Amino acid sequence: MQIEMTDRHYRAFSFARINAITFNTLTELTRLRVFYVLLVFALFLIGSSIFMAQFSFQQEFQILKDISLGAMSIFTSLLAIVATARLLPQDIEDRTVYTILAKPVPRFEYILGKIAGVLLLLAISTLVMGAAFLLILYAREQAAVHATVTHMSGAPREQVADAMRAIRSSAFNVDIFPGIIIIYLKACLLAALTLFVSTFASTNIFTIVVMAFIYFIGHLQATAREYWLHEHSSGVITRIFLAVVALLFPDLQAFNLVDDIVAGTAISMALFAKTAVLGTFYTTIYTLLAAFVFYGKEL
Amino acid sequence: MTNPAVAVRGLTKIFPVPLHRQSIVAVRDLDLRIEPGEVYGLLGPNGSGKSTTLKIILGLVSPTGGRTEIFGRDSRLVESREAVGFLPENPYFYKYLTGEETLRFFGRLCGLRGVLLKNRINELLDLVGLSKARKRRLGTYSKGMLQRIGLAQALIHDPRLVVLDEPTAGVDPAGSREIRDLILDFKRRGITVLLSSHLLAQAQEICDRVGILADGVLVREGHLQELIAIENQTELVIADASPQLVNEIESFINRSNAKLIERRKSTTTLERLFIEATTKNHEARMSNEEGITKQK
Ligand SMILES: Nc1ncnc2c1ncn2[C@@H]1O[C@H](COP(=O)(O)OP(=O)(O)OP(=O)(O)O)[C@@H](O)[C@H]1O
Ligand SMILES: [Mg+2]
Repeated sequence: MQIEMTDRHYRAFSFARINAITFNTLTELTRLRVFYVLLVFALFLIGSSIFMAQFSFQQEFQILKDISLGAMSIFTSLLAIVATARLLPQDIEDRTVYTILAKPVPRFEYILGKIAGVLLLLAISTLVMGAAFLLILYAREQAAVHATVTHMSGAPREQVADAMRAIRSSAFNVDIFPGIIIIYLKACLLAALTLFVSTFASTNIFTIVVMAFIYFIGHLQATAREYWLHEHSSGVITRIFLAVVALLFPDLQAFNLVDDIVAGTAISMALFAKTAVLGTFYTTIYTLLAAFVFYGKEL
Repeated sequence: MTNPAVAVRGLTKIFPVPLHRQSIVAVRDLDLRIEPGEVYGLLGPNGSGKSTTLKIILGLVSPTGGRTEIFGRDSRLVESREAVGFLPENPYFYKYLTGEETLRFFGRLCGLRGVLLKNRINELLDLVGLSKARKRRLGTYSKGMLQRIGLAQALIHDPRLVVLDEPTAGVDPAGSREIRDLILDFKRRGITVLLSSHLLAQAQEICDRVGILADGVLVREGHLQELIAIENQTELVIADASPQLVNEIESFINRSNAKLIERRKSTTTLERLFIEATTKNHEARMSNEEGITKQK
């Protein structure tokens, strides 16, 4: 045993170590009560939209999609911020970070493991909510089909087929999937940004307040930027200034595709790709910044 | 030439105090050299810089000046931590993990897995006497149990050096005796031990060499026996001696050049008394704990 153990060679980067931290983080988060409260609340909202719509089926589907995607977006964003804000401070306060970093674990692997744990949790919740949403949508669609068939029992076949097509197209459109992916990416971005803020914050409350601030500014940012560009000449300094603002306050409105989906507007491949790349880019940048600050941090 | 297990040269650590002019000097120009196989005790009152020194040696805190090495590798390099196990002061672990899961987590961080890891976990749980509590969450562990799981965690990757920050803080006498025996066992197996403590009696029992810190400065250092021996005195402990025999020895001493300084009845130590008195209860408690696990 002795020989086997001392024979191992240290590797500068190890997925096994990151995995260990990732799954430990996931365990930690799934044992938080707030996670279930939020999840149940979101599922309840998605489910309750059934009772809110007693108009035409087009309206019903619209409301269902609006409420469900809205609930998913808010829930994942909230979870991303609340769950991430306490990860590092908790470890530092409990000194578990000492025990972990006293093992041959590079600090950036620790950060990577933490963020990966959160992203995994967000992916699981998005999947659960997405599945609930699609199930309800499908159930309502079947109900509408059933009602229409009974209602139009005497009508010619062509007309019935038309009605069916109208129901199907207003219930389900393929754009729901890219929409959900973008919601997920927005949450990832917020999680990474929260992690970054928490590396220099002194309390959880500070992190959450800063993130709430960033969240609102982020939604208004695009409008403000247009206004600014309109008022000022677009010199180099202005551009640098705007770039810094865009880095600190990501344009969250760009991730808001829910309205388009509800309206039934097709999300172009280009728009989806652009938003997805933006989300991935921000998530990566914030994670790197978090790792950088944490690297030099006095524990 | 072999590298020392720990080398500290000219170490200084200054903590700035935000919003104040002056700053705290936790460690000042410290030199240490710990050879492989030694048990070294870093002693000192509260706030003398013991924990800070240990954290710097482990690369958890960066020094203001000077350098530290573990087996010849700079503490700032992650790979220097390959051969070292650390038990922090008052350790906390993830409360939601069981004892077994905790060891598995730390084992994975050290690159262990599969059967090797499984065997190692069983071995260590046995060693620290937590096999019965392996399926319990750490949130339900007592302080002594936490300290023992901390010790097991420090040993998971079979390190050549273990660094223990007050390993017996908050542990009852029986528990600290067990920890002491574990440390002596490490020594027998050739593991270097660096520990900090302000419990001098315990340090005296286990350390080969000690260094005494006061306000961040190493004020004394040396082999324990040399530091505390009183060169010109000898103690005799005699059992079943009749008063006559004792008187005879005494008069014999008086006739020589030597001088009798003290004559007294041997006493048991409070520690031994405590352990004798509580062992029965302790055993009962252990079987109780077992009962709790079974109920769960
Ligand atoms: N992060 C920190 N920021 C500021 N000062 C610190 C910090 N850590 C330690 N100190 C100061 O450095 C000094 C040494 O602290 P240290 O914890 O090393 O002492 P110690 O010998 O371990 O004490 P104890 O026996 O109480 O554990 C103390 O004055 C302490 O207040
Ligand atoms: Mg200390």
